[in-house]
Amino acid sequence: MDDLDTWRSSPPASDLSRPPDGSLADILERVLDKGIVIAGDIKIDLLDIELLTIRLRLFIASVDTARKAGIDWWETDPALSSSAARDDLREENRRLRAQLEELTPADDRPPRPNG
Amino acid sequence: MATAPTPAYAVCVFAVRRGHGPALPPDLAGHEGGGPLRLVPAGALWAVVQDVPVHDYSEAALRERLSDPATLERCVRDHHAVVTAFAARGGAIPLPLATLYHSEERSRAALVANGPCFESTLDRITGRYEWAVKVNLLAPRAQSPQSPQKSSAQDDETPSPSGRAYLARLRERGQERDDRRQRALDAAELLDRAVLSVADATVRRRPHSAEIVGRGRTQIMNAAYLVAEQRGVELLALLDRLRAAPEFEGCEVEATGPWVPYSFVDAASPTEETAPSHAQRQGGGRPNGQGRPDGQGRPDVVGSRA
Repeated sequence: MDDLDTWRSSPPASDLSRPPDGSLADILERVLDKGIVIAGDIKIDLLDIELLTIRLRLFIASVDTARKAGIDWWETDPALSSSAARDDLREENRRLRAQLEELTPADDRPPRPNG
Repeated sequence: MATAPTPAYAVCVFAVRRGHGPALPPDLAGHEGGGPLRLVPAGALWAVVQDVPVHDYSEAALRERLSDPATLERCVRDHHAVVTAFAARGGAIPLPLATLYHSEERSRAALVANGPCFESTLDRITGRYEWAVKVNLLAPRAQSPQSPQKSSAQDDETPSPSGRAYLARLRERGQERDDRRQRALDAAELLDRAVLSVADATVRRRPHSAEIVGRGRTQIMNAAYLVAEQRGVELLALLDRLRAAPEFEGCEVEATGPWVPYSFVDAASPTEETAPSHAQRQGGGRPNGQGRPDGQGRPDVVGSRA
């Protein structure tokens, strides 16, 4: 049965006449999805190619658009991994040493010249 | 025009539909090195097929070729272009990349044998398109080292904060992050419920990893919706309204489409329903599920980092 008659007349000309502007990741995840699988004569189970999926991931990361690989900021908040944080620690360290020096009894300190 | 494939060729089937449909665009080439695309009848259905050189499409050759990222991308894009053109005026079912037969007769027999399954799937998707909708949480604008919200233990005027204050600030920031993430998850669920008033079905996909979405974004939801052709405009208007809602502050809502309903053609696809709670909802509807009720893996091309 031909369904052309039941198909709505004049669909927007742009509809599906070209692939949508999805990213490469969008296209890959759709095309490489299983969909309706019918047995072919030549077997190629994409899901069995573990290497392929690993490479794909790297591949998408390297090719997909001009976006550069990002840092997952949930794990590494730039505000916390910045040099500012390191400086805080360094400063903290310096102050603790100073406090330690104050608390240490004088006769435990190394003798000072002409003391 | 059907030319009988010589033994040096295999027949690659891209997609099936009802009816011959309009002619394919003349510049559509299919896979590299293959013959011209042609439409072949198979029972009540029509398929778009192409002869491809068997030495490039044997199992071993495919494994090797598809392991090369550039070749893989080309094959995927060529396949997608054919499927999309073939579906231009009605429902079409995309077959997996590289569905190959030794002859046109063999391909016809396989298509006819699967006819009932194709028919019921076509009933479900004809007149509908897939839309991809993603919700990304944007990183807050870089804050000065002095967090605007001062914790009780923190006095920003102190030039050298104590260790305890530093830890308190760490905790506070962690809490803020968790709160932002939870708000974004809630917003995504809100969006999902709203879109299901327009869509017939949904599939949750694995959110794209940081490498794909880029710096300063975290993908909260990656969903596909099956939407009737005439309701696409409604969907876009709805998304515009949602973007402007206060719940979506700090979130980015991306939509691409219309796609051929790739995500809705397998037997595991949900039947048409508008209730937001069905088998597709895994893990209590948290948008990080596999998006498949049967748990059958889809290629983890967008999984989180190893």
